[in-house]
Amino acid sequence: MALIEKIDEISSNPRNRKAWLALACIIFAVIIVIPAIFVIFSIPTRWDEIQGVLADSDTMSIIWGAIWNSFSLAFIVTVLDIVVGLPMAWMLVRKNYRFNKYLDTFIDMPLAFPTVALGFSVMVFWGCPDGITVPGLGLVMSPYLMVVLLHLIFTYPYMVRCLSGILEQIDTNCETAAMTLGASKWTAVRTITLPLFRAGLVTGFILCFARSLSETGGTYIVLTMMGASTFDINGFFTGPTLISELRHMSQDPTSGLGDAVPELILISSLLIVFALLMLFLAKTIMTRLKIPWRKVWPRFGRRVSGKKVATAKDSLAFMFALIFILIPSFYIFVCLGTEGSYSDYGGFLSAVGTSFLVAGVATVFDIIFGIPVAMYIARNRGSKRAELLDNLVNVPLIIPTTALGFSLGLFWGGLGLSSWGVLLVIFGHISFTYPLLVRNLVGAIEEVDPSYEEIARTLGAKPFQAFRKVLLPMVKSSLLAGAVLAFTRSLGETGATQAISNTVNTVPIYIVNFINGDIPNYYAAAVSSVMLIAICFVFMFGLRIVIDRMGGKD
Amino acid sequence: MSQIKLEHVMMRFGSVVASRDINVTINSGEYVTVLGPSGCGKTTLIKIISGILHPTEGRVLIDGKDVTDIPIEDRDVGYVFQNIALFPHMNLKDNVGYGPRVRDKSREETDAISEEYLTLVKMLDRSGYLPSELSGGEQQKVAIARALASGSKVIMLDEPLSALDARVRVELRYDIRRLVKKLGITVLHVTHDQEEAMSVSDRIILMRKGTIHEIGTPLEIYRDPKSIFAAYFIGETNLIECTVVKRTKKGNTQVVLRDGSITRIKGIKFDVGDPVVLSVRPEHVYTANDGIRATVREVVFMGTYWRVRTEADSQDLIEYNISTDTDTPAKGDVVYLVFNKKATRLFARPIQGLQEEIVLE
Repeated sequence: MALIEKIDEISSNPRNRKAWLALACIIFAVIIVIPAIFVIFSIPTRWDEIQGVLADSDTMSIIWGAIWNSFSLAFIVTVLDIVVGLPMAWMLVRKNYRFNKYLDTFIDMPLAFPTVALGFSVMVFWGCPDGITVPGLGLVMSPYLMVVLLHLIFTYPYMVRCLSGILEQIDTNCETAAMTLGASKWTAVRTITLPLFRAGLVTGFILCFARSLSETGGTYIVLTMMGASTFDINGFFTGPTLISELRHMSQDPTSGLGDAVPELILISSLLIVFALLMLFLAKTIMTRLKIPWRKVWPRFGRRVSGKKVATAKDSLAFMFALIFILIPSFYIFVCLGTEGSYSDYGGFLSAVGTSFLVAGVATVFDIIFGIPVAMYIARNRGSKRAELLDNLVNVPLIIPTTALGFSLGLFWGGLGLSSWGVLLVIFGHISFTYPLLVRNLVGAIEEVDPSYEEIARTLGAKPFQAFRKVLLPMVKSSLLAGAVLAFTRSLGETGATQAISNTVNTVPIYIVNFINGDIPNYYAAAVSSVMLIAICFVFMFGLRIVIDRMGGKD
Repeated sequence: MSQIKLEHVMMRFGSVVASRDINVTINSGEYVTVLGPSGCGKTTLIKIISGILHPTEGRVLIDGKDVTDIPIEDRDVGYVFQNIALFPHMNLKDNVGYGPRVRDKSREETDAISEEYLTLVKMLDRSGYLPSELSGGEQQKVAIARALASGSKVIMLDEPLSALDARVRVELRYDIRRLVKKLGITVLHVTHDQEEAMSVSDRIILMRKGTIHEIGTPLEIYRDPKSIFAAYFIGETNLIECTVVKRTKKGNTQVVLRDGSITRIKGIKFDVGDPVVLSVRPEHVYTANDGIRATVREVVFMGTYWRVRTEADSQDLIEYNISTDTDTPAKGDVVYLVFNKKATRLFARPIQGLQEEIVLE
């Protein structure tokens, strides 16, 4: 406890507090932002080779195709999320169905599943890949459609969370007021509540878009199982899977591809630039976009305001979640019933160890250096500097993690650190988990009236004491939620790890290798996926208990 | 014409009963305030009338027509919220024009109505502003204009002034009354501010624990409350436990306090030996050369008068007012108090005790 008291003492000097904030900002810049976009600055140094790639029209058409696929996919998935997520969010917040409580928990579950496991599960459920004896729906569809179905699963929870968060904040009095003025329920919702949604929609849009754009592992598994990860006429790539495949092939000396670095630089840079452009567009256009409320159709509104329409809407939202999100996620458990052999528990455990090390260190780092930045952003709304910081935090979030990983590898490799595989992977994971934690915290801290801390200070608490005893307990649940989000995201990440190092073997990579090998071992992939899911749940459950206990004591 | 009538209205939220057996008629064009301690069911009452809540039992009639099952949007009852609830994304003109617009009026009609009502609340010059650009008082004026512009002949005001500054609150309450009287609107105004209720209403409904405790004009309720609770809750009063000892031929009742001192009250409602509670407002207590002996405990400057707080020998606490231009007694002084016997009221002493009778929650 002596250390904490020391910090209490140190914190009462404003200069020390400023220094601490400055340190957090510097770390944020040097470890998180700069390495993430470093690849763009490496273009001039390898310009000659890149020019060679640019001149090669076959390669360029694959690259442009992959980038187009990534962005169009992300856009379609996000729009679908809004359409189907809104009724679900509405049902969770405004209706009192008895099953809401369970639905609420279930909707979040895909977030705790590593995306490689989801990819595998989705593939088995919708399609029926060769070499798997599990009965699936056996639908034949294009890789594009299959990837849409996959991405829906892990973006949908983000959208539902985001929208229900906003919905909870919107004052229902405005809607009621509209109805006392003669508006039917439908008209009131459309002209009053929906236009107030705008900020939430932008956040949800960015989150889902970024998540879909970034996803590598699950997509890679789906495409490999469909036989589409090839450079021929059947080939289908997204930006991140193209990077993965190039990395994968460049390790194989017989492919004749060399190290493929110029191609990788080009793809990564393009992805990053377009992603940032997208973020900018989303922020500027969508915040100006108005949901039209001027025109009203009273008669139509009345007709669709009935109870029947509402019930139909709720049932559809529920059915959608069940058929497109929940069943495909859990379908992987069916694979356990098939015949197969798996005995590499030692390899699995060592991969789990690596994954937990990376995720744990990254999360702790996020918490320590994320809190001061989050507090600064939340408490200085309106100041230019806080706004800049706020926007910068989003940068690693929107950049596809594979591109980010590659960029990071180049940055630290250039500093001669390339042999420190695990450390670099940790840095990479810090980059894309940091925004998740900070976003959550900023939201929570903004909700807390600063006067609580001020009161604590007038009662004699040192700033750090006020933080520890007053603010922290109030935002504890958000901090925990953010930390769990960051941790599980790190645990499930494939692309960044792959792009940074060839040697670090986390669980998702371990699973991908079963499917990516010369003879795919689906059974082994399924067993290890389920084990990873189980470990995730046990861990999250345990963490919750520990935190609850701690909360009671302090 | 827009008379409101509630018949046996009862509202239950799970096991909590928020309103029980409410029967009341509000006449057309009447301005009625609903007063009562927090949690007594005031807001529930007006939410039932406006259709925001559907009563568990009973009927709501407007102009003799049963509207209990008519949804909010077809009921034509305006509602003004405590937190104002102007639509933040619309300017004032669109806010006020919202009612006509969703009722499918043409653009020209909507604009004309919107302008008319903005003029009534003297906010027409601000019609292009967003609600966030106005002060609280101005916002509430627009909210009232919006409720009226939808064509409602009945409006519910849910503590519309309680979030505003004291001075704005006082000005606005007279503005509102003038406006609704001019338009002949029936108003039910929920408030916890007694002064507000006294100064603007035609009648006051005093609610307690989900029931209507008492109804009357402000003067009736203040001067002749029918219960100890009404006397205590509306205005200020001294409550003294005593016992009837004599009924005089002149039509007075003589009561004895706990220490044996005697005082006289006009009227002969009780029999000798009845346990009673005497209620006298501080402004009807005077000092004299003889009377109830009391010791001054505190003298407080109230702005327009001095409030002297004393403890009588009977251990009752008795307060009285004196004008600011007279000398005040000092703490510890002994004074003799007499009551204005015409303005003093007697109530039967409640079996469960006085404190229980006036408890607010």
